[in-house]
Amino acid sequence: MGKSAKTSRKGKKAWRANIPTDDIDEYIEKSTKDALTGGSLTTLPSDSLFYVDKSTDVPAKKKIEKHREKVLHCESTLQKNPFVVAVPSSILNKSKKKRKVPKVVVENKDVSKDEKDNVSGMVDLWEAKDQDNVKPTKKAKPSIIPAVEIEAPGCSFNPSFEAHQDALASAVAVEMQKIYKNELGPQPVPLTVSSEVVDEESLYILGSDHEEDAMDEENLENSDTAADRFSKTKRVTRVELNRRIRRRERQKTEAEAKKIEKLSKEIDSLPDIMEEIAKDDEEKQKKHLRRAVAKEERRKLGPPRLGRNKFEPAPSQVLLSEEITGSLRKLKGCCTLTRDRFKSLEKRGLIVPGTKRKRK
Amino acid sequence: MPKHYRPPGKKKEGNAAKYMTRTKAVKYLQVSLQDFRRLCVLKGVFPREPKKKFEGNHKTYYHVKDIMFLAHEPLLEKFREMRAHGHKVNKALAKKNKERAERLKAARPSYKLDRLVRERYPSFIDALRDLDDCLSMVHLFATLPAVERERIEVSRIHNCRRLSHEWQAYISRTHSLRKVFIAVKGIYYQAEVQGQKITWLTPHALQQVLTDEVDFNVMLTFLEFYETLLAFVNFRLYHSINVKYPPILDPQLEALAEDLYALFRYFAASSRARVLENQDLTPSLPENADLGSAGTEGDESDLRLAQLQLQLPTNTPGALMQLVEESGVEDTDDDETRECKSLFKNLKFFLSREVQRESLLFIIPAFGGVVSWEGGGAPFKETDEGITHQIVDRPSQCHMFLSREYVQPQWVFDCVNARILLPTDIYAVGRVPPPHLSPFVDNEAEGYVPEYAEKIKRLQAAARKDLMPMPGLDVEDIEDPQNILVAGVISRTEANEAAETKREMSMRESRYHDELKMELQGIPYSASRVDMNMQIPVEDTESKEETLPISELAVNGEIMMSNRRRKIYKAMMMGQEKKKNENKLLEKRKKLAKAKKSA
Repeated sequence: MGKSAKTSRKGKKAWRANIPTDDIDEYIEKSTKDALTGGSLTTLPSDSLFYVDKSTDVPAKKKIEKHREKVLHCESTLQKNPFVVAVPSSILNKSKKKRKVPKVVVENKDVSKDEKDNVSGMVDLWEAKDQDNVKPTKKAKPSIIPAVEIEAPGCSFNPSFEAHQDALASAVAVEMQKIYKNELGPQPVPLTVSSEVVDEESLYILGSDHEEDAMDEENLENSDTAADRFSKTKRVTRVELNRRIRRRERQKTEAEAKKIEKLSKEIDSLPDIMEEIAKDDEEKQKKHLRRAVAKEERRKLGPPRLGRNKFEPAPSQVLLSEEITGSLRKLKGCCTLTRDRFKSLEKRGLIVPGTKRKRK
Repeated sequence: MPKHYRPPGKKKEGNAAKYMTRTKAVKYLQVSLQDFRRLCVLKGVFPREPKKKFEGNHKTYYHVKDIMFLAHEPLLEKFREMRAHGHKVNKALAKKNKERAERLKAARPSYKLDRLVRERYPSFIDALRDLDDCLSMVHLFATLPAVERERIEVSRIHNCRRLSHEWQAYISRTHSLRKVFIAVKGIYYQAEVQGQKITWLTPHALQQVLTDEVDFNVMLTFLEFYETLLAFVNFRLYHSINVKYPPILDPQLEALAEDLYALFRYFAASSRARVLENQDLTPSLPENADLGSAGTEGDESDLRLAQLQLQLPTNTPGALMQLVEESGVEDTDDDETRECKSLFKNLKFFLSREVQRESLLFIIPAFGGVVSWEGGGAPFKETDEGITHQIVDRPSQCHMFLSREYVQPQWVFDCVNARILLPTDIYAVGRVPPPHLSPFVDNEAEGYVPEYAEKIKRLQAAARKDLMPMPGLDVEDIEDPQNILVAGVISRTEANEAAETKREMSMRESRYHDELKMELQGIPYSASRVDMNMQIPVEDTESKEETLPISELAVNGEIMMSNRRRKIYKAMMMGQEKKKNENKLLEKRKKLAKAKKSA
């Protein structure tokens, strides 16, 4: 430690202030630290501080292995704990798991009996008797229309005369309805309108006509407002005012009298009103009923509107009168059953009715 | 501002919260539209119609819960995997790495639908209840041509064919077929399995036309699920009658496209093997248990052996007879099954070349008959002495055996529906047969009974009355019109008497009820009396009988019924009224037609 030559020695006070006290501070600090920790280590003998390791040396290789065996915490968390059940993502999955467990048991039991079945990869799905575990899922049926609709008796390959006439009539009715709809429906808006080109002069005339009309209207309005102003400026005399007040009062009393009279009349005709209300109610109920019935009927006929396109039922398959031969061999059967099944899917609301596909 | 503006951060409510458009659903699930549609079909999630279509009338809506249900489906992940796999293959091909592409193609990820079947149908009965569409679809695809353009593969068609034959064989074996109706569209069948009525439609033996309107992607997805379902159902049904499920068929018969017959043979063989097994195994049961797997192998060889044994006497008529008799071993049948089983008992059918074989081969054994046909693998030839009926569908038959009757195929279907053997003369070769009536129409409910149906009814009554049905005389008895007439007259008088008393009873009852009703309504007795007298003579007895339960309902019910019930009831009444009107029209037409004919 050299001399502290750099300090200023200008005044006495400054001189006094610049005496270094570092070593004293250091000493105090050290002593307090020693007192707290229980004495400094420098004073202790080296025996108490160190000892000679007399055990046989662990080979380096083993040490490395030991190190490797140690599983880091981060790794251990990744490992599966057999005692902790994974949190199911939903209740549904949980129930599935429950369902599966007994099935495995059943399979094991039947191994000796049905070895062949297991070989073929088929298991009886409904064998497991854990019905109570399975929560019965209440599913709304998309429609009340049966999957296989049975055709009318008139659509038989060899129908009786009356039934056939009936079926034929309904088929014809459907076709005719289509035709009538086309004929009686509103005319489509034409894409182009055939007319002569309007020349500029006539256009001007048309425009000027309009302007003149507007002018006339303005004039009329002006005259109206003038008259109003004139009438408003007329002064109301006291006599006039009194008369008006009297008149108002009289009107008021008259109105009240009328009201009372009307009320009494209504009270007299109460039964009639009651009847009317009842009638209204009945009508309303009837309307409601009609609506409900119509709705039910509609549900039977086809699906609700599920998409852009409306469902169109397939035409019914009826033989023409001359096609009935009574022979199965000569029967001109329906060869578009795929379409029929597809339409059935659409009708039951299982798929959205679509347009005709385009061939690629 | 849009119509249904909702400030950001505010929760949705009402229909907007409950429903989701398809576009949104697809985005939410992060799958392609095709995959979404496939998933919906497989999981049984269908579009719904919300009360308020908040995004317009032209969109398709799904319930949010349905979409969440789909989101948890493991199949979704599988679909994504498959898509990624497709990308990999494409990439390999684009890099001209053919080897890798091939290798990848071999390891294409696949999925199974077993779990979905179980999920959608928690119990077997549920599955049976929903089998109509499944059966129709499988039967339809069994007859379709394989079309490359629509991705209809040959293997799937074969699978459908196999499944449909397996189903038919089961129905035939257990005699559970109930009704058959040949319409222009196709042939309707109705069977009763475990108390469930299952109706399905099969196409005629014609070339099916594939139209533009049909989206085959959707159809094939439905079919995929239905194939799995039917396989499991078949498995269960086969095990219920102690037959091992994936049946082992005679390759020779399979090659001749006589799968159904091969299946019948398989049934017979397996039941015989079972009998043998029981005889063999009862003494040596513990031994077999020790043997374990060796024993099961022995079973299989046993089965093979039994099959081979059955193949040897192909042409002896006894073989098939035995089949029918053996199937009667199980005595757990109800009355209807027994009736069906014995309809064609002791009858032998032969199908001529021009007859459509498929349906008849299915139906005749289902009602206890024995059948053969012209062609390879047939159990007996046309010259067989024991044949009782030959089914012919041609204008004239040149060579006829006197020992058998020649009938048109419609006879079989009509017999099946009527449950009696109808007289064969009206179905003879070259004649126009009587109308083929639909068995699915309830004539009583409809109120209109066709002429031929009435005749069949009389025949049925006659057949029931014959307490000692002699096999030879039975048919002639029925054919004799006078006999029927006498029987009819006797039964008529009896019935009339019974009806008289019944009518009186019903009249009194209904009057009492009506009076009660009047009392409730507060109408004075004397006034109501007049109305009643006016009403009664107008109605004839039959309609009175019909309306009786309804009027009763009207009194007790309408007061007690809930609002909803009442509406339904009223709707029913409206429907009946409509039907009555229709019937009147029909009668009128019939009269007109008759007048025309006579004129």
